[in-house]
Amino acid sequence: MENNAQHEGNHGGQGEKLKTSVYFCRCGSNIASRLNENAALLKIECQRDVSKVKAVNLLCSEEGKEFLKNDIMEDRPDRVVIAACSPREHELTFRGVLRDADMNPYLMQMANIREQAVWVTEDIDEATEKAVRLVRAAVSRVQKHEPLEEHEIEVCPDVLIIGAGPAGMKAALSIAQSGRKAVLVEKTPVVGGMPVLYEEIFPNLECGPCMLEPMMDEILHGEYSSNIELLTLSEVDELLGFYGNFVARIRKTPRYVDMDKCIGCAECFEPCPVQVRNTFNFGLDVKKAISFPFLGALPNAPYIDSRKCLRFIGEECTMCRESCPIEGAIAYEQEEEMIERKVGAVLVAVGADLYDPTNIPNLGYGKALGVYTSMEFERLLSSNGPTEGKIKNMGGSPPSSVCIVHCAGSLDENHKEYCSGICCQTAFKFNHMIESQLPGTRIIHLYKELVIPGKDDFSLHHEAKDNPNAEFVRYEDIRDINIYTPGEQENVQVDYRDASGREGSFMADMVVLCMALTPPAGSEELALKLGIPLDSSGFFEELHGRLDSVQSKVKGVYLAGTCRSPMDIQKALDQSMASAGYILSGLVVGRKLEVKPTVAEVDADRCGGCRICVSVCPFKAVEIDGETGKSSVNAVLCQGCGTCVAACPSGAIKGNHFTREEILAEIIGGLR
Amino acid sequence: MSEFEPKIVGFLCNWCSYAGADKAGSAQKPYPASISLVRVMCSGRVEPEFVLEAFNNGADGVLLLACHPGDCHYKEGNIRALGRHEVVVRILEQLGIEGERFVLEYVSASEGDRFVRLVEDMTDQLRKLGPLQIRR
Repeated sequence: MENNAQHEGNHGGQGEKLKTSVYFCRCGSNIASRLNENAALLKIECQRDVSKVKAVNLLCSEEGKEFLKNDIMEDRPDRVVIAACSPREHELTFRGVLRDADMNPYLMQMANIREQAVWVTEDIDEATEKAVRLVRAAVSRVQKHEPLEEHEIEVCPDVLIIGAGPAGMKAALSIAQSGRKAVLVEKTPVVGGMPVLYEEIFPNLECGPCMLEPMMDEILHGEYSSNIELLTLSEVDELLGFYGNFVARIRKTPRYVDMDKCIGCAECFEPCPVQVRNTFNFGLDVKKAISFPFLGALPNAPYIDSRKCLRFIGEECTMCRESCPIEGAIAYEQEEEMIERKVGAVLVAVGADLYDPTNIPNLGYGKALGVYTSMEFERLLSSNGPTEGKIKNMGGSPPSSVCIVHCAGSLDENHKEYCSGICCQTAFKFNHMIESQLPGTRIIHLYKELVIPGKDDFSLHHEAKDNPNAEFVRYEDIRDINIYTPGEQENVQVDYRDASGREGSFMADMVVLCMALTPPAGSEELALKLGIPLDSSGFFEELHGRLDSVQSKVKGVYLAGTCRSPMDIQKALDQSMASAGYILSGLVVGRKLEVKPTVAEVDADRCGGCRICVSVCPFKAVEIDGETGKSSVNAVLCQGCGTCVAACPSGAIKGNHFTREEILAEIIGGLR
Repeated sequence: MSEFEPKIVGFLCNWCSYAGADKAGSAQKPYPASISLVRVMCSGRVEPEFVLEAFNNGADGVLLLACHPGDCHYKEGNIRALGRHEVVVRILEQLGIEGERFVLEYVSASEGDRFVRLVEDMTDQLRKLGPLQIRR
């Protein structure tokens, strides 16, 4: 490399003439037959700054590359121009040859004489002239080139995963199985996300907890569980750093139960004198201030709701500790902790929420009796829910008629413009479960659109269509439905106008609203902490909707599941595996991260600290130093677009390999 | 060759427009030879100075080709280019150079034909305007 350094000593601009070799590729007959080669070579040779010209038959062939390498090693030019095809085709090939020839690969410029001259210019003399002109521009530019060094930085292969739903758990397992550490942060006391609350999951009607239990068990007790650090009741408070080198600060609130000691016997529940609304059943029933979120919840340890527990509102109650058979399992002394973890990548898998049904007041939610959201109805269907799986109104009797409102808030410019994708299947699953538990129940589906793509998804739809007790009414606008309790009655009246304008009305004992999926509460705050943007619907925005839908716009922060877009469990898991794939292949244990030199660099002396660069950078790669007030570019995050270079009013930013001098030289060279 | 052949400098972003020009090349669609193409990674890299220097060094027109809105490889560089284009056109007009000599257009990687048409249209337009005269 000594030799290399010496060789790169000549950077141009100091007045001395650089030895510039032009290699002219005939590209078989592709280029050679379309111009006057002799004339072209002669004119190139006469150009200012050109030391020599050599024509080669096929420079990208093995023989061609070998020739190029040997010729460069023998001749030791300061700069190389390759007049051949598009740099999009072979720039990397020839950079590799330069590297092999012990020459800095960035001291080369290609002149695209095939795509831009001979292939698009019919007249042979004009084609020759244009090829010569393109070479002149390249020769002019390459004089200004500077040797650039790729460098490497150490990276941490561990991963922070936010959200322990199916997507987060699947990714954590993949990461753990590869021998890396996964820090799995979950804000509730349980793992499993939304689907663990479902009795059955479409399309094949598997039991939710049964489907997820093997995965949850692997996380908690499996072969690779030692690689997974599960932090429940925890939220990410701050994320610093960049791809390969993040530092996450995690706020862990106390469970007041020592998970290592607790055996999950539930002896403490009965004596607890405080009842609280059970948020895991959406407030449909109550539980004790110390309790499991629901029967079978994992990790198998209760938690104390400190907003309601007497101890935390100033009373001296120790009933739970007294009834606990294990010394020290009830831990009142636990305090909030700030935990710091170093990770190389982050996966956001925080799930979704339902659109608030009170935003559509005519649906009667919260006013009429027996009106439930789809999530509440899932809990009514669930054997560990408030009615132990019996379909009935709270404290009431089984319904003889159920109205299911599809598309509630979806495909609606007044609410959510998108289709939530999962509600049709959910509604047809409900249809199946109502019919099998309470055969003969009248089921009225009010729907706007039916969307049932996929190879497995038709069966529940067919079943609903074939159910003689099921009726389908298409409506056009959710405002055409009015749900209310008339007078003293116990059931509700549903008035509607269908899509053809006909008005109708029926009575129902129960109404289920399939609300739109929305980004989860707190996404804006989380997005701000992670430094990633949300899209116009409020979901976490992907780098590219088709090609890179699991990468966020910040390198090293990935997205999976419904926090990115409404989707079913299958797609969420696909995304989580895709994210794991990105992470596993991008951050390899023992391999450093290659940092490209073709990035922006700030000259601190010229920087005025105006922050324009910070505001135009699409990758959050520019930062202002708190002390100096000057900007600097993080080479790992910078993608080399040059937007900040063009925007800087002080000309303080240099875009490596696309510098002002290089581009101006190319412009002028092409016009000369 | 009696007809005026306007010199055009084209700034093309690497990911869409330059690829579109390559596409015209591999499809062997001829277009006026008097254009020189300068590759930039993103249309957002193009500084007003590049445009002014192109005119100053003999260009009769400058064509800035970007990815279609929403397709930018760097998310929004083409939107920055759009903003700068407006400003540069105003500067040119103040300098007595017709704004029509600096054109911003969008070409995707698959639009070889569109690229050729844009170069032809620009050439026609510049022929109507005639050679650039800069009062110095």
